[in-house]
Amino acid sequence: MNEADSFAEIFRGGLPHCLLIVFSMLLICSPVMPSEFEVISMTKFDVNGQHFGSRVSAISLEARSLYSWNTSRHCVLTRLTDLSIHDFDKLRQNAGGLILMLPANILDLDVETRELVTILEQSMLSHAVAVPIYFAPYNKDLEKIIDDITYTTTDSVATNQTALGQLIVTVSANRYHINVGGGSIVANKNSKVPIIQGELIPNQLALKPSESVTDGQKLPVILITANLKTFGIYNDYPLNADAAVLFALVELFSKVHYTSSMAPKYRLKFLLSDAGLLLNFQGSKKWLEVDDNALQNVEFVLCLDTITESLSNNPDNALYMHVSKPPKEKSSISNFFKLLKSAAEKYSNGLAVEGVHKKINLADSKLAWEHERFSIKRYPSFTLSSVKSPRSPIRTTIFKNDESQIVEHTLNASRIIAEALASFMYKVDSASGIFDGELAIKEENLLPYFGVKSILHNNDVKDAFEKYLSNVKIIYDKPDSRDPDFMFYNDHDVKLNVYRVKPAIFDLFLTIVIGIYLLTVFLAIQYFPRLYEEVSKLSKEEPVGQLNGHSSERLKMKSH
Amino acid sequence: MTLYHFGNCVALLTPYYFTYKYSGLSEYGAFWKCVQAGGIYIFTQLCKMLVLATFFYSDTSSSSSGEFNFFAEIFRCSVDIADLLGFALILSRIPGKGHSKLITAGLGWATAEVVLSRGIMLWVGARGTEFSWIYILKCLESNVLLVQHITTATLIWLFTRHDLNKALKPLVSLLLAVTVFKGVWLEGMIHILAIGPWLTVAVKALVAAIIGFCTLHIYSGLAQQIGI
Repeated sequence: MNEADSFAEIFRGGLPHCLLIVFSMLLICSPVMPSEFEVISMTKFDVNGQHFGSRVSAISLEARSLYSWNTSRHCVLTRLTDLSIHDFDKLRQNAGGLILMLPANILDLDVETRELVTILEQSMLSHAVAVPIYFAPYNKDLEKIIDDITYTTTDSVATNQTALGQLIVTVSANRYHINVGGGSIVANKNSKVPIIQGELIPNQLALKPSESVTDGQKLPVILITANLKTFGIYNDYPLNADAAVLFALVELFSKVHYTSSMAPKYRLKFLLSDAGLLLNFQGSKKWLEVDDNALQNVEFVLCLDTITESLSNNPDNALYMHVSKPPKEKSSISNFFKLLKSAAEKYSNGLAVEGVHKKINLADSKLAWEHERFSIKRYPSFTLSSVKSPRSPIRTTIFKNDESQIVEHTLNASRIIAEALASFMYKVDSASGIFDGELAIKEENLLPYFGVKSILHNNDVKDAFEKYLSNVKIIYDKPDSRDPDFMFYNDHDVKLNVYRVKPAIFDLFLTIVIGIYLLTVFLAIQYFPRLYEEVSKLSKEEPVGQLNGHSSERLKMKSH
Repeated sequence: MTLYHFGNCVALLTPYYFTYKYSGLSEYGAFWKCVQAGGIYIFTQLCKMLVLATFFYSDTSSSSSGEFNFFAEIFRCSVDIADLLGFALILSRIPGKGHSKLITAGLGWATAEVVLSRGIMLWVGARGTEFSWIYILKCLESNVLLVQHITTATLIWLFTRHDLNKALKPLVSLLLAVTVFKGVWLEGMIHILAIGPWLTVAVKALVAAIIGFCTLHIYSGLAQQIGI
């Protein structure tokens, strides 16, 4: 009774209001202490109506290992190197999400694993993916979590067959709840592919007095094209050796044009566009549409594609010349091929030049090589590449080798191309070695261009083009609003949160244990008077103790 | 589900209620007295904070890194003597008879401590998605603290009695000192021996039980002597 009065007394004053405020404050306080990790979303883009990368971004699911997931309510958390193509094919339709931890250093992997990683990359970039995919940079804590979920599942399958063992594993197992935010993914209305072109006009002084400037314009054109890779499986910058070679050629030939007294027989045009293979060479397609008569008087089109393998597993040291139809004898392409071969023999360190012929497959939704864009329009064209098959996964990989290797190979390749091109243009013997001595291609010429990220990045590309070339022009390919050829998507910075959780049965188990504990405490309090009595007896024996039986009796009474 | 876990943690605090219910406090209507004892706890803590903030250099960097700083702990514990003054205040101000007076003081103090120092942590943490054993451990530890606070209240009461046997006086003072400086010697030992969290609670429970038993022994002697 008295107790009830006391309660009433408390609530009579302004206390309820205080309580309301306190409780609302407590409700606002969000749970803390999740482990937070950086993640990078997989690239999302459309080409020719095909979607690549998932259009879903949020994940809030239970984390499972590669071996234990089975429904779309599981998000698979694993290492990129553990994933196989077969697993990925199952995952990309049926799982709830996929989070891949990148290896700490791709160069530490053995050759087979690296090959597998690139093949996996290619598979991700060539199939529609329904589930959200994220890449997490290497992180020790995340690795522990991955180990934990992998270990628990394999252990429970292997050793504990008894029901009790299963129960203990279920109760004690750590589970993880994964949460990735990420807003809605919307098409970027400003998607565009920039294309930059420039022209190297023959030195006016070198021309004979009778020839005027207009005659210079009539010279046949050699077009050199390359693509800047601006993304891979995620938004990072892949190796852009092709662009570096293109810039090296621009620099070299502008020097040659201004120093040599020889008048070239050709005009050199350079074309560089963003995002090549992955966007089906949209840049050159647009350029061909815009500049219809630019190639009226073309000698040939030279496309650079993957001049250096960014992640060479076993560099087979060859330069392949890919053509859509075998060049006729005495044609300019066959002449160039021969010059290239002799240049390679002379200057390269064992770099072989081979020709590869592949017919254009018009049924394919995607072109294999950039020169096919030109060959379709019946311009003589070919691609120089270090990869033999157009399906090589190296062409789209985002991972890079260590730079010294790349630079060496690129130097080598650009030397050969430059020599062959120079002897073709000036009709000199390829053995003369134009790019020796003063005009030699050095590492310093090449290195700055490896850092080129995009045509629109800081105007670097534009400045370089304007420095050496004339008629520099940037055009943009924008997707049609009704029937877009390609489309990019807005990306958000997202964070991966991993919460350690316990299964429902665990809390039930805990309740039982707590119940037992409380019962023990209850009994202990019930029997406390008896303990007190015993202690009193002990004290009684001491001389100071005076017997007084009241206290223990009273305590007993209280306890009832 | 997580609210259920919060429930589990709160269930671990039921011994407070058991103590209140089965020690006879509920029959005396001592609820309001417990609340008053809690109020004095709050007052004491505020005073302590004031002193700590004014006179002591707070080295947050060392305390957050988990290192055990011996001297800082000694300083901190010397401020904890204020706790004893707080208990003395409760015992002198709040009327009560015999055993119930001590239990009221200890229970009120311990309850106020649990609500104020553990309440928000439990509400925010144990309800969260992330699971951690720490909440269960903290709740178990508060059970130990309940025993300890009742012991401390008894010790203070014994300390203030003039009719206590002179021979026992030094022992009571020693037990009080041991209780106050528990932060130094017990935490230091746990730190040096690198005892895990579960064992830490067990060791604390053992220490509290030993001190409690000694106190009970002294108390029962005096209680018989003066007849309560």
